[in-house]
Amino acid sequence: MSNNWEMVIGLEVHAQLKTSSKLFSSSPNQFGSEPNENVNFIDSGMPGMLPVLNFACIEKAIKTGFALNFTINKYSVFERKNYFYPDLPQGYQISQFEFPILTEGFINIDNGQDQKKIRIERAHLEQDAGKSIHDIDPKYSFIDLNRVGTPLLEIVSYPDLTSADEVVNYMSSLRQILMYIDVCDGNMQEGSLRADVNLSIRKPGGDLGTRCEIKNLNSFKFIRQAIEFEFQRQIGVLESGGQIEQNTMLFDTNTGETRAMRSKEFSHDYRYFPDPDLLPVNITQEQIDNIQPTLGELPNQKLDRYISELKIEKDISKIIISEKENTEVFEQMVNDTEVPPKLIASWLVGDIFAFVKENNLDVSSLMKKTKVIVELLKLVSDDVISNKVGKEILPKVLKGEGSPSEIVKKMGLEQVSDSSELEKIINESLQDEEDNIAKFQGGSDRVLGYFVGKCLKATKGKGNPKLINKLLLEKLQK
Amino acid sequence: MKQSISQIKNSLKKKSISVEELHDEFFKKAKLNSNNAYNLITDKAQNKSLIDESQKRYDNSNSLPLDGIPLGIKDLFCTKGVRTTASSKILSNFIPNYESFVTQQLLNDGSIFIGKNNCDEFAMGSSNETSHFGPVINPWKNKNEPNNNLVPGGSSGGSAAAVAEGSCVASMGTDTGGSIRQPASLCGIVGLKPTFGSCSRWGIVAFASSLDQAGPLTNCVEDAAHILNSINKYDFNDSTSSNHKRDDYVKDLNKKFEKKIKIGIPSDYLKDVSQDILNQIENAKKVLSQHDIEFIDVEFTTTEYALSTYYILAPAEASSNLARYDGIRYGVREKGENLDDIYLNSRTKGFGDEVTRRILIGAYVLSAGYYDAYYRQAQKVRRLIKNDFERILKDVDFILTPTTPNEAFKIGDKLDPISMYKNDIYTVPTSLAGLPGVSIPSGLSSNGLPLGIQFIGNYFQEKKLLQLAALAEKELAFNE
Amino acid sequence: MSDIDIKRISYLAKLKLPQEKEEFYANSLKEIINWVDNLKQIDTNEVKPLHNVTNTTESIRNDEIKKYNLVEEVLSNAPERAQNFFKVPKVVD
Repeated sequence: MSNNWEMVIGLEVHAQLKTSSKLFSSSPNQFGSEPNENVNFIDSGMPGMLPVLNFACIEKAIKTGFALNFTINKYSVFERKNYFYPDLPQGYQISQFEFPILTEGFINIDNGQDQKKIRIERAHLEQDAGKSIHDIDPKYSFIDLNRVGTPLLEIVSYPDLTSADEVVNYMSSLRQILMYIDVCDGNMQEGSLRADVNLSIRKPGGDLGTRCEIKNLNSFKFIRQAIEFEFQRQIGVLESGGQIEQNTMLFDTNTGETRAMRSKEFSHDYRYFPDPDLLPVNITQEQIDNIQPTLGELPNQKLDRYISELKIEKDISKIIISEKENTEVFEQMVNDTEVPPKLIASWLVGDIFAFVKENNLDVSSLMKKTKVIVELLKLVSDDVISNKVGKEILPKVLKGEGSPSEIVKKMGLEQVSDSSELEKIINESLQDEEDNIAKFQGGSDRVLGYFVGKCLKATKGKGNPKLINKLLLEKLQK
Repeated sequence: MKQSISQIKNSLKKKSISVEELHDEFFKKAKLNSNNAYNLITDKAQNKSLIDESQKRYDNSNSLPLDGIPLGIKDLFCTKGVRTTASSKILSNFIPNYESFVTQQLLNDGSIFIGKNNCDEFAMGSSNETSHFGPVINPWKNKNEPNNNLVPGGSSGGSAAAVAEGSCVASMGTDTGGSIRQPASLCGIVGLKPTFGSCSRWGIVAFASSLDQAGPLTNCVEDAAHILNSINKYDFNDSTSSNHKRDDYVKDLNKKFEKKIKIGIPSDYLKDVSQDILNQIENAKKVLSQHDIEFIDVEFTTTEYALSTYYILAPAEASSNLARYDGIRYGVREKGENLDDIYLNSRTKGFGDEVTRRILIGAYVLSAGYYDAYYRQAQKVRRLIKNDFERILKDVDFILTPTTPNEAFKIGDKLDPISMYKNDIYTVPTSLAGLPGVSIPSGLSSNGLPLGIQFIGNYFQEKKLLQLAALAEKELAFNE
Repeated sequence: MSDIDIKRISYLAKLKLPQEKEEFYANSLKEIINWVDNLKQIDTNEVKPLHNVTNTTESIRNDEIKKYNLVEEVLSNAPERAQNFFKVPKVVD
């Protein structure tokens, strides 16, 4: 296919932390505000301004440490990363270098039938930079510093990833976990989660090649495209006898191509040194212990529990755990009732989600409706109404047109489960059906379905199908 | 004889002078700016309401601790609505929208700011010759060469000259490697650098963050105590600010020490000093020995490394602290064809030679391949220097040293950087250790120029330190 | 001692030294680096670097938003602005 070349990929994921204020200043940590509205003098790098650490960022980092199996370092140091860019007012970014807060973690990703362990080298806290707007004017750029100082957690994997699929898998698992533990809102369109891809290629068993870094990818689609393009590009270079230059690349979302950033006169030298305006971070065991219980169940833990304890099928379980709000709705319903979780799960991922989608709602809006849904499901599982009828009145229930019992009563939709009544209907349906009766007795099961359908029609759909089926069978077998 | 803050306050209380008259007296002198001690002198109109409010308080007998006292403020403190330049071209048009923590305390205590004192550019220098606004002239003259203009010291040269010339009662300066103490010594006044972490750095144009400290330059030790009372406060917004219990530094200033005091004199500091300097130390020993004070010879093992350590660490931090000055969001922006040009032109044209030099040194010692040998090594030696002081301060309560190795020299005399850096030889070690140091004028050189002696105290022991300085000041009777 | 790569250092510091001053600064730097080289004599193998003189800090913030909307003050010293943006010549990557 690609002449046996292998990809070797490491991912640096930048996750914006879900805090109210910024990492070192008390400006709002908010997306979408008016230009420079969330900026104070510290953010704009005015003379004499000093940073003060927001402890919530440390807490989020510790939570992440638990969720991603990291070692949580009780001692970590903020260092200055020095470079010049108009969206970096101080002329340096406060980051962590020699002593990051988290080291040596991992997550397991699904790899078809198996799981693959992706090791994570480190994660550290750092400031985000502002934004430059280049495309309003041909001659000028416009600088908005709102994003300056927003807290980021940079998560750096080992180069354990070997395909675009694995990369997307890994990143979406990270995203899911971070959203679960309320560390990041996962909104990639708003830039809450971005990735830099480090890609090199080699022949199987060969030495590691020179890698190129593709910066600032903020959608899974772009990550895939960028990786595919860069893979082919590097193959092209090496197969035509050239050498890969270590470059920082940008991905052009319009053309689907990567290109090297303008080469600088001299290579970057960030001259990291500990920020003298800050003291080292010292976390106590007590602080760490206090955070652990706030973690909640992680996605893979929920998956295991749904499958083994609640007996939900794997595929359905996966759909539920794909977003935390799904699990919140699901679990609230499960806790509320004796209705079998399996029933709740299949209705949720089927008709209920379909309703949500059609009506452009958020899943979270279902939280207020779990009681009525459970009421409806109980009517179904108690055989008061049929499955089919239940699904028909679901939209009415969700739209708030009354309680399920009221609606059933009003519309006269109770199942007919009176055996004698049904017997009458069955007898009627069997009239003049000597041919079909003969077919059934000759071994055709389909005929049964025909008769059940005929009976249901006669009951205007209200007949209890299971009971009809049973009674019919008894009759026909005579 | 210059009046102290206490004396002036008494006059104001007794109505022998009004707040406005007091202001006008100093304002008139400041306006002359004969020694170029000011980058900016505040219009009387701007201070009028403060003057009136101050007078009201005196009329109602509820005056504030520094009410109506005219102060100079080094042009490194961001003063709200008042131009703050750091004596640099790049900030020559900068008007902050915020007040530094320290100057806010002074305003809260009722003082009136006469103007912004000239200083070395971005506080880098020991002679106030690097200022974009021109050198400051020491009010003192060499009696044998009375026509020569001499340096006042630096970087708080303007502050020292202003106090010495009598155009303000006291001035607020900053000290990174000696920038308060050294000019105080060369101008014959008192200069105090408090313990690192005592006074907030919030709103002070940063030079070297792990060394910068605000402190007063005054006519007498008691005045320094008054000002310290005002500014020595914990500030949450400065992560290096220390939250320890503060004292009343004026109270009991002249009280006798309760037990015998031991003062160490480092023999290694006195190698190769001039006779004039030696005399200062000898004289101080003589007058203080009468007061149940024992002098002990002590010896540092790290003195010869202090200047090197400082001239690696301070430029390194400065190179990073000054990266924000780029003409993009504030300050003077030079023309350029593209963004990179604007950066390069604004910075290159906006900084003077010494600042440029130190930024380059800083970038060098932090750069890949050199970081370990220089920056990291300097941080390690800094720990050794700190340990050295702590070792010595186990056996003595204070350390006595000369403040400067020489008297005020002629403007333009020391063009070579290293010879300029050596001016800081006695003050830099204290800064590296973070200890408090105070310089008081101790006598005149053979050329009739003031010389100072420095007392170094233990961490946060400013109260005792000032007591000792007050005693020495009384005994040495410099101003008489 | 090795020559100072003054072009590279000034590049890192975002300074464009005039041709005639490059040598001046390079020499100055060489002299000063030479002078501070005496630190190399000291054995500091067992010594931890000193980051801060202050021992502990109480400056740990709660996650609260303080006064914002300082747009005018933040932009008041801007050499060039366009509405509420800082304006600069086009940035080219």
